[in-house]
Amino acid sequence: MSRSICVACAGRIVLQSREASVRRLTNQLSSNRTRYPAMYRLISGLSLCASCLEKLPVIGAAICWQCGREQETEELCQDCHKLTEETLQSNRSLLRYNQWGKDLLSMYKYRGEERLAVLYAKLLAIAVLRYHQVTSFDCIAPVPLHDQRLQERGFNQVDLLAGRLGAEMGVPVRALLHRTKRTAKLSQQTGRSAREESMDGAFSWAGERLGQAKAGSYRILLLDDIYTTGSTLRSCARTIREHAGSLCDIYSVTIYR
Amino acid sequence: MVREYLLYIKVGTESLRLAQAYVTPCFSVDQSFWQEREGCQLHVIGRSPSLVLAFSLRELVNAQLERRHAASKPLNEEGLAELRELAISRVRETSALYGREMAGRQPLQGQWFQWKQEDVSVALSRCNGSIENAEKGMGSLLEGRGLLWEEIETLMMKRAVACPDMTPILQRMVLAEKAEWRPGVRLLVKKSWWKHRLDLVCDRCGSQHENIELTVCHTCGQGCAYCTVCLGMGRSKCCTPYVLVPSRSPYAKGDGGAMRSQLCWTGSYSKDQAVAAEQARRYVANPRPGSREFLIWAVCGAGKTELLFPSVSECLAASGRVLIATPRKDVVLELAPRVQRVFPHASVIAIHGSSQQKWEDADITIATTHQVMRYYHRFPLVVLDEADAFPYHNNPMLYRAVSRAVQPGGKLLYLSATPPRYLQKRLVAKRRGGFKLDVGRSLPLLSSSTHVLLPGRYHGTALPVPKAVTIAGLHKRLKSNRPIAPLLELVRDSLQSERQLFLFVPRIDDVDKVLAYLTKFFPSDASLFAGVHAADSLREGKVVAFREKRYRVMVTTTILERGVTIARSDVAVIGAEVAVFDEASLVQIAGRVGRSVDDPAGTVLFLQADRSAAVRAAIGQIRRMNQLAEKLRSREEVQA
Ligand SMILES: [Zn+2]
Ligand SMILES: [Zn+2]
Ligand SMILES: [Zn+2]
Ligand SMILES: [Zn+2]
Repeated sequence: MSRSICVACAGRIVLQSREASVRRLTNQLSSNRTRYPAMYRLISGLSLCASCLEKLPVIGAAICWQCGREQETEELCQDCHKLTEETLQSNRSLLRYNQWGKDLLSMYKYRGEERLAVLYAKLLAIAVLRYHQVTSFDCIAPVPLHDQRLQERGFNQVDLLAGRLGAEMGVPVRALLHRTKRTAKLSQQTGRSAREESMDGAFSWAGERLGQAKAGSYRILLLDDIYTTGSTLRSCARTIREHAGSLCDIYSVTIYR
Repeated sequence: MVREYLLYIKVGTESLRLAQAYVTPCFSVDQSFWQEREGCQLHVIGRSPSLVLAFSLRELVNAQLERRHAASKPLNEEGLAELRELAISRVRETSALYGREMAGRQPLQGQWFQWKQEDVSVALSRCNGSIENAEKGMGSLLEGRGLLWEEIETLMMKRAVACPDMTPILQRMVLAEKAEWRPGVRLLVKKSWWKHRLDLVCDRCGSQHENIELTVCHTCGQGCAYCTVCLGMGRSKCCTPYVLVPSRSPYAKGDGGAMRSQLCWTGSYSKDQAVAAEQARRYVANPRPGSREFLIWAVCGAGKTELLFPSVSECLAASGRVLIATPRKDVVLELAPRVQRVFPHASVIAIHGSSQQKWEDADITIATTHQVMRYYHRFPLVVLDEADAFPYHNNPMLYRAVSRAVQPGGKLLYLSATPPRYLQKRLVAKRRGGFKLDVGRSLPLLSSSTHVLLPGRYHGTALPVPKAVTIAGLHKRLKSNRPIAPLLELVRDSLQSERQLFLFVPRIDDVDKVLAYLTKFFPSDASLFAGVHAADSLREGKVVAFREKRYRVMVTTTILERGVTIARSDVAVIGAEVAVFDEASLVQIAGRVGRSVDDPAGTVLFLQADRSAAVRAAIGQIRRMNQLAEKLRSREEVQA
């Protein structure tokens, strides 16, 4: 895709007219002066036109500190209150999942427009930079796809993102997990608990050995495209914890929440 | 389960027979097929999980075989060894080139392309096995369609046809030359003296070069690529079989034709319309092959759709099915019930992206152009409505799709108010000598064997000629709320005389600017102004409100340049010099005005910051049409 074409709406990107939007977004997303330049670089590198940048449904400042959901106050949300024994330290996402996001994600995931991986990896990098100390992770672990689905689809949308994000952050990508259960599509499941149940034991350990952590615990960044109920990511985290022991801290980041 | 494709050469026993290469996913099917027909020798060259590689090797081998044949060298053991060697070196080359393009990425299986050479030859003597009939149902289901493998599965599911494995059935159809299958995206090695490169082309939509994206594919595990242009219709890849089944037999037999073609239309033609409709009908009825294309050039407001009825009826009577393709979904939805009403005994379906009828068959199919991509040599008559409108304009892909939907020997009928230059050049003859006009262009002929021109409107009044006004600093004036006299005058007149006004602007952001400007000058009428653009989610509601006269002034981008017709309305273009307004678009915009019999006149105002060639050309075109219509009328008067 040519650099001067918006990947979301195919409109032309006029750099001057976009500058104000880039600055506004950078200000909103960089918590302090030192992060500003890196954030600016990431945001101005997005191949989005001014109006699509303005449309980016970025999650606001107040979120549930567990799952990253946007809300009024900064405390545990209702869903997270009910959780006991949480192995996933936290989830953070960059965007709200509105119609714009839905259309774009389905273009990527179901239509198979792999070129959107470039944009999405940058958006994920922005999320990581916004919420974390980028250098503090020891590895990135993508949520795997069932082999059969991978064969049908031809590509794993999360793997593509992991590769690019890893390169961007300078963190290795590890395939820690296998998907053993072929779960029904989200839309075909009814209710939260059904989802939670169907994800139970859906993953197995891929047998990859974790390296020695630099200091203290081994920090793993789980990667997925969307956090809906969180059951997929929690199931992944549990499987990792079972095999890697309590010495690892598991975080997750997704594009949409 | 990853499929494997086997490449083999068939040599007939009669020495004159040319040896030919085939690709098959199920060799045993091929063996039994040939055994039923003829005695022959099959020589296996090798196999690969890559469909695209197998096909590119087939091309290579066939070219080589033809060369041998031309030099009348028989295909012996040595020749076979040579061909196998050639295949292997081509695989190596392709792999290396692919790897170069994918610099930095790793193949899934260690190599980009896998190829297993095989040295097997089988001699088959003829036996009289029973030829299976399983393909019959499949054949009629797929007839006239060009579909990706996944789409065939969808079609079978929608039609509730059970078929555990369609591979052998399809392969038999291919061998019997009733179907063709290819990789969705084809790959060739282009050799030149400075650099060899991969040449990738989407076989479905014809896109190539930067529109084809190389990828690490988990479906085939081989070097693969997908087309980014026709993605919305399912992913066309190097490893997706793309199946084409031409429709050969006439579509329906028996005397149903007379019934289906019955036209129940109570309207009437003007004299010019009757002539044009008859011309088109005669073109469709003409059994002589040759002229494959015909253009109905009818100015805005000439009543284009009705002109089609006799042609459609003609085709139905000859047991054919008809496709009417149009760029916009709303036109499809509006046209379908209208056509159904006048052909009550024919089945009519409307096909667009979210249509439930997508996989059905009918006598008359009305479809958006993108959906036409799924048809292949299906219709003896294809009508392309608004041949100049956005998705076709400069889009060879959609033209290709439309012309591929036509059966061999079938007819393609273009319908346009502003045909693009190349269509005019191809189909419209110029009047030699005589009537030179101020613009230096001669008048086109009213009709020929390839076109018919309707220069006048249904009600017989001339087209309103636009007035062009150049205003220095037009856009700055707008921004700083300085008066633009001709515009303000037009708005005031329109508001006072109970008329409605379209204000066309070049860009989406101009909509709000112009609305703010108008509000500044007509604060008390602010509630009568509205604006729409393509991305406006309230668009449909606003257009309805405008039709119901709840709004009086509509500020809009070019999205309303066609379709929306409102009696007693005027039109202005603000910034007519901007490139989005080309000649065709300006003529269409001017065509909004004066379409109804009660109010055939109206104002068309082009405000431009600079002089523009498109504005001049549009005005010239409208003048020429009026002149032509005038001539036609005076000739008729003389005759009368
Ligand atoms: Zn955009
Ligand atoms: Zn929460
Ligand atoms: Zn294509
Ligand atoms: Zn593939």
